[in-house]
Amino acid sequence: MSLQFINAEKRIHDTVIFSSFDLSITGGKIVAIYSSVNVREQLINLLLGKTILSHGELRMKENGKQQIGYFFLHDGLYERLSIEDMLKFTKRLYDSTMSVNDALVTVQLDAKRSVKTKNLSYSEKKRVQLACLLMQETSIYIFEEPDQNIDLESKRILLGIFQQLKQQNNSVFILTGNLESAITAADEVFRLDENGLHPIHTSSDAEVDASSESEESINTAESVLPVRFEKIPTKVNEKIVLFDPPEIDYVESNEGQSFLHIQGESFPSTSTLNDLEARLLPFGFFRCHRSYIVNLQKVREVITWTRNSYSLVLDNKDKSTIPLSKSKMVELKDMLGL
Amino acid sequence: MNVSLKRMNAIFQKDLKDFSRNWAVSSVILMPIILGALFGRTGVQDLSSHYLLINLAMAMVAMFVQCCLIAEEKEKNTLRGLMLSPASSTEIIGGKSLLSLIFTIIVIYVTAMLADYRPANFGVVAAAIILSTLFYISLGTILGLFSKSVMEASLVVMPVIMVFSVGSFITNFVDSYPILKVALYLPNIQLIELATKVEAGGGFGDVLVELAIITGWVVASFIVTVYLYRRKMVD
Repeated sequence: MSLQFINAEKRIHDTVIFSSFDLSITGGKIVAIYSSVNVREQLINLLLGKTILSHGELRMKENGKQQIGYFFLHDGLYERLSIEDMLKFTKRLYDSTMSVNDALVTVQLDAKRSVKTKNLSYSEKKRVQLACLLMQETSIYIFEEPDQNIDLESKRILLGIFQQLKQQNNSVFILTGNLESAITAADEVFRLDENGLHPIHTSSDAEVDASSESEESINTAESVLPVRFEKIPTKVNEKIVLFDPPEIDYVESNEGQSFLHIQGESFPSTSTLNDLEARLLPFGFFRCHRSYIVNLQKVREVITWTRNSYSLVLDNKDKSTIPLSKSKMVELKDMLGL
Repeated sequence: MNVSLKRMNAIFQKDLKDFSRNWAVSSVILMPIILGALFGRTGVQDLSSHYLLINLAMAMVAMFVQCCLIAEEKEKNTLRGLMLSPASSTEIIGGKSLLSLIFTIIVIYVTAMLADYRPANFGVVAAAIILSTLFYISLGTILGLFSKSVMEASLVVMPVIMVFSVGSFITNFVDSYPILKVALYLPNIQLIELATKVEAGGGFGDVLVELAIITGWVVASFIVTVYLYRRKMVD
């Protein structure tokens, strides 16, 4: 019931895809790896046994391909079959004890049971795929970009299923390139790249402070010095671009660098997240997560996925969702007077 | 390898449902039947035209349908899910072949009835036809493994269908082009020779050579299929 990477490293033609790391995923845990597409594909190929590690090993207890259930980003359904037929087929194939009805209710598709899968929306297809995955009744579930392009309702269902799997003492392993979704869904989030594996929850703040302290003092010196004027500098190709605080949707810290998100575009900032928080606080900004500062003026919705995971949905054109940590939720409630 | 009939049956039933709703592919099974009715009504009664029909039915139904079934799984990304499931490759291919086999047998039977073909020895002819069908199914599997989409699959099978149906006329040219003698060992031509012998009153003992050659083709194509499947489908 566990998946273990021991000293795992992968190189392709002398390029390091990811350098050696140890990670073990045991039952009752949701672990996410936030990585580039390339790393994600390599990991999936490794798990499928299509490629092998350059170093180290991958251990799966309870060996055999049946033990792992996959939720691929691109996975097909038999488009001429109805949802019910599709699930019945999966049930027979996996000799599953779960009833088709239960699966349909879990993904909230029982009203559409006789609709052919080709007539469903993308999010609904993903939910059918999810139901088929639940039918497999394995102990390790691997999700590839589980919430990419799906609607809010489906995302809520998905997160509910993660919790359900966790309670049944299964391992959930999420591979994604979207930091927000990784943080919202998982208990433990790691970033994996050519420098190895880094936990995101614990060390991202410290890193920010250490790494950008030096350059910050040089770059922002001139813009902040004479009068205290309220513009936030960003750096784009050696140019310094200034933004009014109300323009900013949210600020994200990624790999020790903070980024301002403005109308769907992101600009690397010269300041650290802590400095930005101090400067932006008077403008109605709020540190909603270790790695995020949000402009409260732009928040439209606060979504409660499960008891422990929340998200903020912004009122910009992408409807960006940003994670809100549990402790900050309490603070936010105080601020809102709830 | 432990073959589970339950899983094979699941795949068979899924394909049956899917196939019956997929008119683009399933309508081909009507073609030999219509031709058979036409031949029967116009009074075409010689053995070679009966076997043109039967060979056509085998190529069209067994090969084309099998090829499309596999190509569609590849095109729609569903084969990967199937491969990762507890179903073994034998069960996957077995379930699909079962569907093609059943449809082919039904189509050939109906076509032969409509075309008024009554073989002198039903047992021998039926055995030979079932053997040949197995050959066409595995040929269809091979072509399906090579093509990436249904579109490609239907294009790829066309020349092969030509060779194995109309190709039976090749016997007429053998005298002038001796090199074509090799073609006489093709399973479709062997089937015709077998049928001729049966009509002349031959039993199992008289057609052993033809049956052996057809069986040889079946075994050879099975080996190629298994080899290709292992190479192409390590997914």
